[in-house]
Amino acid sequence: MLEELLIFTRGGLILWALSGGGAQASPVDALIRSGLLEERPADGAGFSLDGKRALNWAFDNGLGLVFVAVYRRVLRLLYVDDLLAAVRAEFARVYNPKRTSYDGFGDVFRQLHLEAQARADEMNKFKQAPIKPRPPSPVPVPLSHNDVPKVPGDDGGNDGESQQGGSDGESGKEENSGDPEPKDGGAFNLGILHRLRIKVIPTKDINNVNGNKNNNKGRKKNKEKEGTHRKLDFSDPVDGGKVTDHVVVKKGVQGQSQVDTDENVGDGPKAEGWFSSVFQSIAGGNTVIGKSDLQPTLKALKDRLMTKKVAEEIAEKLCESVAASLEGKKLGSFTSISSTVQAAMEEAILRILTPGRSIDILRDVYAAKERERPYVIVFVGVNGVGKSTNLAKVAYWLLQHDLSVTLAACDTFRSGAVEQLRTHARRLQIPIFEKGYERDPAVVAKQAIQEATRTKSDVVLVDTAGRMQDNEPLMRALSKLINVNSPDLVVFVGEALVGNDAVDQLTQFNQKLADLSAVPAARLIDGILLSKFDTVDDKVGAALSMVYVSGAPIMFVGCGQSYTDLKKLNVKSIVNTLLK
Amino acid sequence: MDEWIRQAESWVGQAEGWIHQQPPEQIYVAAAVVAITILLLITVSCLKSSKPNTIVLSGLSGGGKTTLFYQLRDGSAHQGTVTSMEENNDTFVLHSEQERKSKVKPVHIVDVPGHARLKPKLDEVLPKAAGVVFVVDAQDFLSSMQAAAEYLYDILTKATVVKKKVPVLIFCNKTDKVTAHSKEFIKKQLEKEINKLRESRTAISSADISDEVQLGVPGESFNFSQCLNRVTVAEGAGSTGNVSAVEEFIREHVKA
Repeated sequence: MLEELLIFTRGGLILWALSGGGAQASPVDALIRSGLLEERPADGAGFSLDGKRALNWAFDNGLGLVFVAVYRRVLRLLYVDDLLAAVRAEFARVYNPKRTSYDGFGDVFRQLHLEAQARADEMNKFKQAPIKPRPPSPVPVPLSHNDVPKVPGDDGGNDGESQQGGSDGESGKEENSGDPEPKDGGAFNLGILHRLRIKVIPTKDINNVNGNKNNNKGRKKNKEKEGTHRKLDFSDPVDGGKVTDHVVVKKGVQGQSQVDTDENVGDGPKAEGWFSSVFQSIAGGNTVIGKSDLQPTLKALKDRLMTKKVAEEIAEKLCESVAASLEGKKLGSFTSISSTVQAAMEEAILRILTPGRSIDILRDVYAAKERERPYVIVFVGVNGVGKSTNLAKVAYWLLQHDLSVTLAACDTFRSGAVEQLRTHARRLQIPIFEKGYERDPAVVAKQAIQEATRTKSDVVLVDTAGRMQDNEPLMRALSKLINVNSPDLVVFVGEALVGNDAVDQLTQFNQKLADLSAVPAARLIDGILLSKFDTVDDKVGAALSMVYVSGAPIMFVGCGQSYTDLKKLNVKSIVNTLLK
Repeated sequence: MDEWIRQAESWVGQAEGWIHQQPPEQIYVAAAVVAITILLLITVSCLKSSKPNTIVLSGLSGGGKTTLFYQLRDGSAHQGTVTSMEENNDTFVLHSEQERKSKVKPVHIVDVPGHARLKPKLDEVLPKAAGVVFVVDAQDFLSSMQAAAEYLYDILTKATVVKKKVPVLIFCNKTDKVTAHSKEFIKKQLEKEINKLRESRTAISSADISDEVQLGVPGESFNFSQCLNRVTVAEGAGSTGNVSAVEEFIREHVKA
């Protein structure tokens, strides 16, 4: 049975509630905060899981109303969509913007409920095989059962190949370089991500077992080879994790980190073709926007977004969500459809890119300082995105705010990684904790944090090795590092050059971190650092793709290769650039 | 380009010729009509933009702004509210003043959603504000103290707010609940948090194009009395109708 059916305005006032008491507002609040405000649902009606309850919702864009039905998840009520549509139609007749109580609607609703149930029963009888309720097993449920899940398996395959070119030249021990593996078959499930973020225990990934076997073989072969080569690696053998002393190097005046400068951005581009739009709109004063009217404009917008390198699936979903929010709305006078759509799209992108929580790292560092613990930041990402470089930039910025920083060299894999960090540490004159190569990064990190606590350092920046998102053993190692050390911030470094692969990278990273963690409350990616931003002039779509997929805010933008080239994301300028 | 210049010159010549042909009185009348219209428009626009009469209800999500909005307008919170996705914007006469027989000027109140992702909406509304009511949840204060202080800090350091000396009322809502904190406690905690924020935000102050303004006196711990605009604290409860403090604030700053 339906537990609750709420009708409320977009401004937040409840107009009618089935239970009459408004007691069940909390799942709806959670739905609004996490779902509706993040432009995730692909259609107007959607279906979301929230622990024990399932919620269906529908919009009436013309009147600015939202209809939400709440029921127990185990009862798979199939008539709810139908009922919501009927309720929407009926309520639109009764609705008056001045009225705030609709007691008479209760009877109407009961009637509609019975009718909807009857219709669903009839449909049941017609079908030969009864509609089996989906087994309550760990099969991921798609976010909207109306949506035909696209097959990003193809996308994944292509991206796998392109990734080979881009990855670092890690010869010998390179895992999975040979096969662009098909991604776990099935839809690109935003639903999974959504659930992950609510910290429900998701299922284990049964795929990629082959990947494991390949890895082991590759490793064994290599060990045999090494013995026969002359010693070419003259890196200093490092003994026991002592903190190296500051070598007195003249610290050149580097200038100021650009994180703290503000940028002022004017308004976005005005609608083009003023004359043509004026004449169009004088003709269409009070029309209601229909689906077919939106299609051409939305297609043009989608193409424009894709030329700005927004991932195709993201652009598609965004356009659908904007269409759903505009369908049925009345066109204002003197506005054309294209300007309305543009405004709605701009608002949607602005909403996605605006961080959902505070990203003031300095404040969190001070809070940790009061508790006499160092603030630990872990940088993760695939190969070659710029983790070490951007880590040094962040260290520089923190130093400018008079905080003491320690670096932890937990990239014990890539040749030269430890030396690279050592050089940065020497130039910035900060301590670095290193244990050389071939050590367990989780253990190195743990010892680094202990050392930092002992020396009363404010921040610990942990550098990790780059790893492909579908490499199971490496992801497991990363998950172990994060769970053992429980850092305060997990930053995913993604490069702005990446296109569709950003979606895959982030999804897989989050999924693996959740799947392979030993503790129930898995830590996921908390923030994104967008690197190599200076190499893309206006193809800034990667920012939008990454934020949309992971829900994590962009904390920093790396825009160059020197210490001062670190900025904060200017949301307005990105929105303008995307829609130019 | 030259062609256009030549064309423009010929048009100017033609216009001059045409003007010379008209009788002089008509020209004087036409010019006078144009001048008077322009004068009228200027005076009307001056009068309109002299005093904004918008009160902005802001605060974190779940603080009780929408409830407060409907209390002010209709005297009751109806059947409850959910998280707002859009702003509530209305011009009305305060419900408690509707019984007054004399002519009462309506107030324009905007209830801005508190969700972090809808923050840009606040930036749109603030320039037109005559007063800001910052609604704080007195019952659930400690867990959201940092976020509330950050929000309040953002409001207090906006250039438009400081320049126009927009008064701010910190309204501690939900004081009808037993576990609600007192307004003095909330005031002190907010001052402490803003003090911390001040240090972390303005450590490097050579930001040239900045929308932020320095708060308070450097060297001393922050106090609301150091703000250039007036900041007052009051308490009440939106759901029970105890909103007299807000109404007084509104009447004080929007001429009735």
